[in-house]
This record gives sequence, structure tokens and C-alpha cells, in this order.
Amino acid sequence: MSDFIERAKFSCALGGALTTIESLPRAVPIVHAAGGCAASLSGTYNLAAGYRGLGYCGGTMIPTTNIAENNIVFGGEDRLAEQIESTLRAMDADLYVVVSGCQVEIIGDNTVQVASRYGGRNVIGASTPGFSGNTYRGYDSVMTSVIRNVVRRSDEKEPRTVNILGVVPGHDVFFRGNLDELRRLLGLIGVKANAFFGTGESVESIRGYGSASLNVVLSAQAGLDSAKAFEAEHAIPFIQSELPIGPSGSAEFLRRIGGALGVPVEDVESAIERETREYYSYLERIVDVYTDLDFQRWAIVAADSYYAHAITRFLANDLGWIPFLTAVHDIEGEREQAEYVALFADVTSEYKPKVIFERNPSRLLDEVRRAWADNHNDKYRDSPSPAYVVGSVIERGLAEALGAGFLSVAFPVSNRVVLNKSAAGWRGALTLVEDLLTNLVSAR
Amino acid sequence: MSKYSDELSYGFTSSVAPPVRETRIGVCSAFCGSCGRLRKDVRSGCAMLQRRRFDQSGGCQLNLASGIVSSFTNTVMITHSPLGCNSRFAGMSGTRKTMRASKGKINEEFIWLHTNMDEIDVVQGGIEKLRRAILYAQEQYHPDIIVIANGCVPGIIGDDIDSLVSELQETVSARIAPIHCEGFKSRYVASGYDSAYHGVLRCLVGPCSRGDNDDDNADDDVNDGDKGVGVDSAGKRGRRNNSGIVNLFNVGSNSSGDEAELCRVVGALGLKPRFLPLHASLDDLKRIGEAALNVSVCATHDDYLLGHLKERFGTPYIIDTLPIGIKNTNAWLRRIAEHFHLEVEAERVIERENAELNSALAPIKERLKGKSIFVGGGETRILTTAEFFHSLGMRLLGVKAHNVDRFVEDMLGDVTGDDLFIEVAAGMPAEEINLLNKLKPDLYCGHIGANGWVARLGIPCIPLFGQGFNFMGYSGAFELARKADKALRNTNFSRNISRHCALPLSVEWMESDIKDNIKERENA
Repeated sequence: MSDFIERAKFSCALGGALTTIESLPRAVPIVHAAGGCAASLSGTYNLAAGYRGLGYCGGTMIPTTNIAENNIVFGGEDRLAEQIESTLRAMDADLYVVVSGCQVEIIGDNTVQVASRYGGRNVIGASTPGFSGNTYRGYDSVMTSVIRNVVRRSDEKEPRTVNILGVVPGHDVFFRGNLDELRRLLGLIGVKANAFFGTGESVESIRGYGSASLNVVLSAQAGLDSAKAFEAEHAIPFIQSELPIGPSGSAEFLRRIGGALGVPVEDVESAIERETREYYSYLERIVDVYTDLDFQRWAIVAADSYYAHAITRFLANDLGWIPFLTAVHDIEGEREQAEYVALFADVTSEYKPKVIFERNPSRLLDEVRRAWADNHNDKYRDSPSPAYVVGSVIERGLAEALGAGFLSVAFPVSNRVVLNKSAAGWRGALTLVEDLLTNLVSAR
Repeated sequence: MSKYSDELSYGFTSSVAPPVRETRIGVCSAFCGSCGRLRKDVRSGCAMLQRRRFDQSGGCQLNLASGIVSSFTNTVMITHSPLGCNSRFAGMSGTRKTMRASKGKINEEFIWLHTNMDEIDVVQGGIEKLRRAILYAQEQYHPDIIVIANGCVPGIIGDDIDSLVSELQETVSARIAPIHCEGFKSRYVASGYDSAYHGVLRCLVGPCSRGDNDDDNADDDVNDGDKGVGVDSAGKRGRRNNSGIVNLFNVGSNSSGDEAELCRVVGALGLKPRFLPLHASLDDLKRIGEAALNVSVCATHDDYLLGHLKERFGTPYIIDTLPIGIKNTNAWLRRIAEHFHLEVEAERVIERENAELNSALAPIKERLKGKSIFVGGGETRILTTAEFFHSLGMRLLGVKAHNVDRFVEDMLGDVTGDDLFIEVAAGMPAEEINLLNKLKPDLYCGHIGANGWVARLGIPCIPLFGQGFNFMGYSGAFELARKADKALRNTNFSRNISRHCALPLSVEWMESDIKDNIKERENA
């Protein structure tokens, strides 16, 4: 059973739905809820996702039924129909997605059914009350509706085309840069990647995604329901993978996808070699400063499961940092936790990280202190220092308490502005190294 | 203006939740036309009966209420709701930190909890989760205050948070304040201020009159009227308050620069101003009743609090204009001075301040003269800000208010006369963009959340307020003028954006008359 959460790094299902719709090309959400839900949830992602903005139609621009107490008593379906019709006149879009808030779901309004009356006019619906889950749930509700109602059935499959799922816009603060880099990576081995969001996407192109031959789900927590919908509706199988970060992660990713699609091994290996060579041709620049000033750090990673292992592996296997503690906040089931811990078997550093599952950020400091001998004001005391915290902006306080370096990567990120930066692939890893080390030299 | 607030009565704190503003004050949230017409319709009540066909998202009273109570020092904020309500805190703990730093308050980590209500809780209730969250907050953080913002879900299913609070209050050292701010209950988001202050008045401000044991410190201050200021305002028990302490009631859009400036001008009268209640500690709140006078900075925010404080402590209050621009800062200061019979001192301050300011503004006025402007945001703030731009020689094309109620009735004709164009809408950027596309002002000054859309239209924007800006008082007037002047020195940003970033509005909408979007409501 879910319990209360301290400083949750999530919004609700409606928030997840809105950040997803705002990232779909020329899509407009229509929110059936009280007046404030849409703007305020959209605002969460505008502020806390590296200032991702409001997309094509976010914030106060979002059409809303603005229901109040009388609708709670008498029902709000008529008001919703009026709002859908007026939105179709007022707003210029390729897709309208009707989503629901807590209030109308509790009283039993059938949002999806009302939306379906306008199916011929590019209107689809999804049930997304906040109480049904967190951001991931909203992402999957919207994507499942897109997959069922927008993507066309196609018996012809393109053998070298994949759909990318599980990259939740906004919740992955670097989603656009990451998707660009993922597309580039797969392009290196002749694979076309459909991303739904970002560069070059359109609703028209999304209609054709039923002809992909594989879905790649990059998260253990989001995108699985969407992949299953693709499997059921469009007969496209899926594999679960992970966001590739740096040489180790990217090479494994290309081998995995290349293998699944039957790309010749030599094509994959030559791409990996080329990219790795380019990566180190840049990384070479920091070899002197890294060694002269000792930029090896004890790494504390606090992130969602989408980033936690991927970043830990990059820091340990590629950058040579010591993975001290990795805290994951979004996995609750014991079996899933055990599966996630098993991923860390590929960490090649001599010191192995402790992996914990903790939703309450204040307990991380206790955890760090517990993991090392108490400071009894000893003259000589060994400790995991110098340390570096890679987490969300919420871990800034932890970094301050430990006197550690700090970079925010996982949601929420409100202390950085993110445009086309990424963490993925070889190029994203270079950016990540730039940002990590910039913080160490910023006072010079 | 105060004559309308005098018609209001208070005394709601015996009930668990406050009345919403729709019933307590009456509010217009949809109108498009002249200020003169609006004033007539507000008086007759017709303005309160309008709704929209096409509606967009506005605010939620939970956000406004939480904005107030979450600012208190050493406070843990619990949102009793699913994860979405107040999820914006994820991106805002840094702004709280910088705000506290700018006010010279000690740094503290802002802690917020969600009860994270799910489908099971909708059926079974979420009280047990709330209990665990309160106990966790107490054990982990030992805060002075635990506030609970109640969202729509517990509001609809009927979670009895007040019984839980009275049960736990006996075992928890923190003062627990439940805030009833369910979003669906009011379309007038300023109801959230009443919700917040209702909880503050019930749980955080001492119940006793000033001078009672609860408030030892108050006695010292009450009698140290060393400035020889004039006095009236007999307290409830016939005590005279010579303290010269003036509570100035800050709002979320006050910067610490605003507070410093307003303290400066009020202090120049020989009074002892202090800002409350935002960023206050529990001790500050307990001592809220010791002032000689309570002064509102923005009527939309605090009549509920000031009205109740008068009933509880006998503290007289002034709810008048908002001190933005020269004319309104002068008027605001005169009202305070008048209360203490400090008219002569006030005129001396005003004469000196106005002379200095006007000569500083002269070159800026020269550059702004004839430029057109449109101002959008909260009712009192936009009318006073617009009046100031008008006084600088700018052409005022119109204003847009989130809502209009009795507090600005008298101000409506004050800016440029009854013909001034006004749109009333909480949010609704589609209507505003339609209007601005036709009016084409040289500059737009707007509320957070509106400026980005206006920039996409190619109109340069300046924010109506901000944590880093001082726009109130005399120094604020100068800053506001500089801000407008600065924006017009390079307008390339909005021009570039308008060429490359599309607005989601249809041609049909952009050509329509937005008055057609307003209809008479069916019920409630």
C-alpha cells in the first residue's frame, strides 16, 4: 500500500498526462476538472523540469471545463461537451486530448465516452485522475490512447524501425536532447527511431508508427502499459532496455537493439568504435586537470530508476568515480527492487555501490552517515570524501550537509536551464562530464 | 473603498471552514467592456452572473492558500491529496530559500509532505495516512507549525481532518493548522487567502486579547510609545495602544525590496512598521495582535484577516489602495498618517519624496511619452500600476483583471475615467491574446503565466511583480518606470519569438469578438 511521501519527485497522473500532451506535436489538452488543476500541474513541469516551458498549449492556455461545486452535485458531462465544441472552434491543433481530474472521476462523469463522440474530429480521451497514480500513470494513459486511437493499423512492418517508449517528457528533464541523441545512435546502425516527441515529429507521422517492428521501452516504471497496448493493437513486440549513458551504456544499447533487429555485428561494432574514439578525443582534454587536481569523487546518486543505474554505471565504469550510494525513489515492489539491484552487477569498479530504495529524501543523509563509522571527533577518520551528489535539486541540501559537489540531473531540476542538452549516448555523456566538472572549477 | 469593506462582517472562525468569496463578498469573473459599465454591473450584481463558453485554466485556491502558510518559518507543509496538488513545490524550494535570504532570515530547508491519496483512499478515506504524515513531520523535524492543505479528493469524500487534528494536537508539540482550500469549492481563487487566514486565525494566532498572559511581550511594547504619536483605537478592553506599531500585511507578490521601501516611508512618520504574516514565525504570529494599526497592502488578500483581527483584538485597520505609483503611494501613506494624526509629518515626507522622484523620472518620462501599454493581473495591482504608467505619459489601452469585487469599485473610474477598457478573466490568455492582437500595445505588463503568450504575439513584456523587483512605494515607482523603459530599448526578443513560435489559437477565434464568449451562467 502506498504511504505518504516526503518531498515527492512526482506530479499526479493528470500532471503526467499534461506534460506528455504538451510535448506531442501540435496537440491541445482539454481538461475536465476544477479550474486550477491544469495550469498548476503544467506549471510544475515548467518550473521543475529545467524550465521546459509550456509547449504548444500549456499553462493557463489549457482549455478547462472549470467545474465547481454545482457540477459535483449535478454532473459535468454537458459542460465537457460544450468545452470540447468551443475548443474545436477556438484552438488550432492536429490532436485534442481530453483528460480528467479527480473531482469528475469521483462523481462518475465518463470523460472518455464524451470525448469519443468527437472521434471524427481528432479528439481522443484518457482517464487520468490524480488519485490513479503518479506522473508515469498519466504518461501511459495518454500514450495508450494515442496508440489505440491515433496510430493506424499496419500489417506491413518496417524491419529497421523502432518506437521509443518510456521517455516521459518533463519527468526526464533532458527528454528532447536525449531523444535526439537516441535517434542519432540508432541511425548509426541504420535503425530509424520514432520518438513521438521533439524534433521532426508530427501527428501525421505518429499515425504511421504502427509499421515499426519493435518497441524499445527505456524505463522500468513508465511505458510498459503503452508497449503492451502496441503489442495488443498493432502486433509490435517490445524489449525493455535502459537509457544509455556514456561509452559502456551506449555500446551495450546498440548491441542489444542491433541484435534484436538483426543488424550485422560488424556494423554495430564499427559504429561503437568510431563513437568511442570520438568520445575519448574530447575527454582527453580533461585528463590533466582530472589527475592533477584529483577529480575522482565518491559518487552519491539519488534518482528515479530511469537514471539511477544508468548514471551510476557511467560514473563508475566510464569516469572512474567510486559509486558509494545509489538511492532509487520510484520502485516499491520487492520483486522489482530485487530485479533493479541485479542490474548493478555490471558495475566494474573495485568498490561496489550500496543500492537503497528510499522515497523520503531526508533519510539519505542518515543513510550516508550510517554507512560509515561515526565521527567521534577522532583525529584520524576515514570517510567517503571528497563526495559528489548527482540527484535532483532536492538533494542540494544533502550535498550542502556533506560538503559535496552537486549536479541536478533527475527531476526536479529548477537550478538549471535545459534546452537541447542530453545525458544520453556518447555526446550526452560528454555534456554530463562538462557539467559535473564545471561545478568543481567554477570558483577558479 | 473602505466604506464597502465596512459593510462586511466577520466572525467566521467558530466554524471549521470559511465561506467562499462568491457568497461572502460577491465577485465578477467574466466581463468585457468599459470600467464605468463594470462598476454599474458590480453594484447591481449583474457582473457576478457571467460565465464562459470556452474556458481556460486559471488558479486554484489551494495554491494561493499554500503559498501563504508554506512561507512560515520552521513549518512542515502537508498536502492531504494525491500527488499533483502542490507538486509545484518540487520546483520552488529554491525560490523560498532566496526569498528568506533576501529578508535576512536564517536558511532552512523547506519540507513538504503529500499524503499521496490513491484509489483505495478514495474509497476508504485517507485519515490514517494523514495521521502517519503528521507524526512523521513531528518526529523527523520538530517543526513549530504543521499545516495541512486539504485538497478536492478528501473534500469530496468527506475526510474529517479537523477531528484528527484535535486528537493529535494533544500529543504533538507543533501547532497543527488545517487549511480547507479544496479547489472545486470556489472559482474565485482569492478564496484561498481566506482559507489560509482562517486556519491561521483558528490555530496559530493566540485566542486571547492583547495584554493577556499569553502575550507577555506585548505589554512591554504596548506602552512604549516613545515617539509621542497620536492615539485612538481603544482596544476591546478599553486599553489604549500607544505602541506606534503598524502591522503591514504582505502578500506573495511583495519582494523584500517592497517591504524595505514601505517600512522606510511608514517609518519616516515616526511609526514602527513591521511586515506580517508571510515568512513569519509562530512567535511573530502570536504577537500579531499587539499593533496599534493593521494596514492592508492589497485588499484582495487580507480583508478576512484584518476584519477578524479587529474583532479579536480590537485593532483598527485600513484597507485602501495599493501603494504603487506616486499617487497611490501618497494616498496610502496619508491614510496611515491620518489615523495617527500625523498629517503634517506625512505631507512633509510626501513633498520631499515626490520632488526627488519626479526629477529622477523626468528623463524616463521623456522616453516613455506616448508609448502605449496594457496591464493584466490582480485587480488592485493592475489599476494602480496602470495609473502609474498613465501618469508617466503613456497611453493606457486597457487593463485585464483576474476578478473584480467591491474592493476596487471606487478605483475603476479613477485611472483614466469611466471609458477605460477592462476585461475580467482569471487566466483566459486566449481572450487576452485576441484583444492584444487588435489593440497592439507597445508594451505589456502582466502576471506570471501571461507574459509568455503575449511575447509570442510579438509584444514586449515586463512582469507585474517578482521576487527580485521593488515595484511598491517611491523607489518602486522609479524601478517600474525603469523596467518599462528598459524593455523598449531592445524589442528583438519578442519580435523573434513571434516569427518562430506559434500560438495555438485558430483564425476563427482571433477574428471573433470575445464578448460572444461570455454568457449568463445557469446556476452557481
